[in-house]
Amino acid sequence: MRRTRSSTVASPNVSGQAYAFMAMTPVRPGEEKPLADYLRGLRDRGPSPLAKLPRTHIGRFVIVPDFHHDPTWKQRREEHLDLNYLIFTSNFDGDLDSYLDELCERLAPEAKEIWGRCVGCPESAKGAALKRYLEHNQIKTGMFFAAYGQATVGAVKSSLRQRDKLIEFAIRAQAMEPDALQKAFLSEFDAVR
Amino acid sequence: MSVQTSSPGPITATGTQPRNHDGQVIAITVFSTIKLPGRLFLPVLFQVTRRVPKLTATLRELSFIHFARWCVIGKLPYNGPPQKKGRFRYPHMYFESNFNGGWEEYIDAFSHILTSGMTAFWGTSYGFPKPLPTAPFKRYIQDNETEADHYYCAYPDATSTMIQRALELDEKLAALRRDAKRMQPDAFAAAYRAFLTDAQNAL
Repeated sequence: MRRTRSSTVASPNVSGQAYAFMAMTPVRPGEEKPLADYLRGLRDRGPSPLAKLPRTHIGRFVIVPDFHHDPTWKQRREEHLDLNYLIFTSNFDGDLDSYLDELCERLAPEAKEIWGRCVGCPESAKGAALKRYLEHNQIKTGMFFAAYGQATVGAVKSSLRQRDKLIEFAIRAQAMEPDALQKAFLSEFDAVR
Repeated sequence: MSVQTSSPGPITATGTQPRNHDGQVIAITVFSTIKLPGRLFLPVLFQVTRRVPKLTATLRELSFIHFARWCVIGKLPYNGPPQKKGRFRYPHMYFESNFNGGWEEYIDAFSHILTSGMTAFWGTSYGFPKPLPTAPFKRYIQDNETEADHYYCAYPDATSTMIQRALELDEKLAALRRDAKRMQPDAFAAAYRAFLTDAQNAL
């Protein structure tokens, strides 16, 4: 597991080996709808681009148009966002530095359509320039909870596969004699991992 | 033996907008505006909660949560015009959770089981109606929630409980695998049956 010293020393962004990243970037006026259309249409165009980052457990893009207000709240003055903001969060394995390197390389085509519509995003929207932009717009986590923060995406998927395999085996092996059971078990599981 | 595979099962993600879920996993995204005392109180609360694992034990017991985070935002990074520069008048709290099950059940569980924790986290937010009764609290969350534009989970068909149990099972299975070759068939059969009994909750 690649980890940097800074990400492991009681950082509020870290739980186990999992990292909570958040970037909040202002959307350029006039680009709100095209950006929303693009993000909402990603599913129709195939697998999520975040699937290209195999260290990503769960991620999201959210466009926040404004803060909510209610006159009954007795908030002395209302506060509004100056622009729409794009939030990108990811719960991923390992350190931020190498994750952003991967993101800025593998998501380059999508990044142009996503952060390329945000104020201050470099023209190319890829590579080191995009990485600096995302780092600049990172919002520090206050508290991060990860139910299985010690497990990587690979470990989670492998455990789920193993569990399915064991269930199938347990059903198949119900009536086996000890000798056959042992042979079948070793043949099924001995070479695994 | 009651078993459930991690292959696609009935979708239990209910009570939310379509873009807020991927398979079994639901996204919740909520901003709340913090009263000034919260600016001082919440960072201390976060720090104490991080340092005392016992405080998150109840959160862990709510085994349908995958990941959750809270952030207090007093100022946004500046990227040039037309973005305005400067601090917010009030700090704002960003909360996101990734869980499985129904939205309503999630809020109910949070309100009933984490009553004091909820009050600690949201008590300094404008309009927070207390966790109980749940109806006003649900309205508060709905009012402050923003639907995701795109949501992704690497293992959308698995619940958090299923994952945690599969990880536990892995360790137990590794021990049996290690010993299996050296055992006589009868001894192995007994060990296998004991393993299945022990692992039953994880299947």
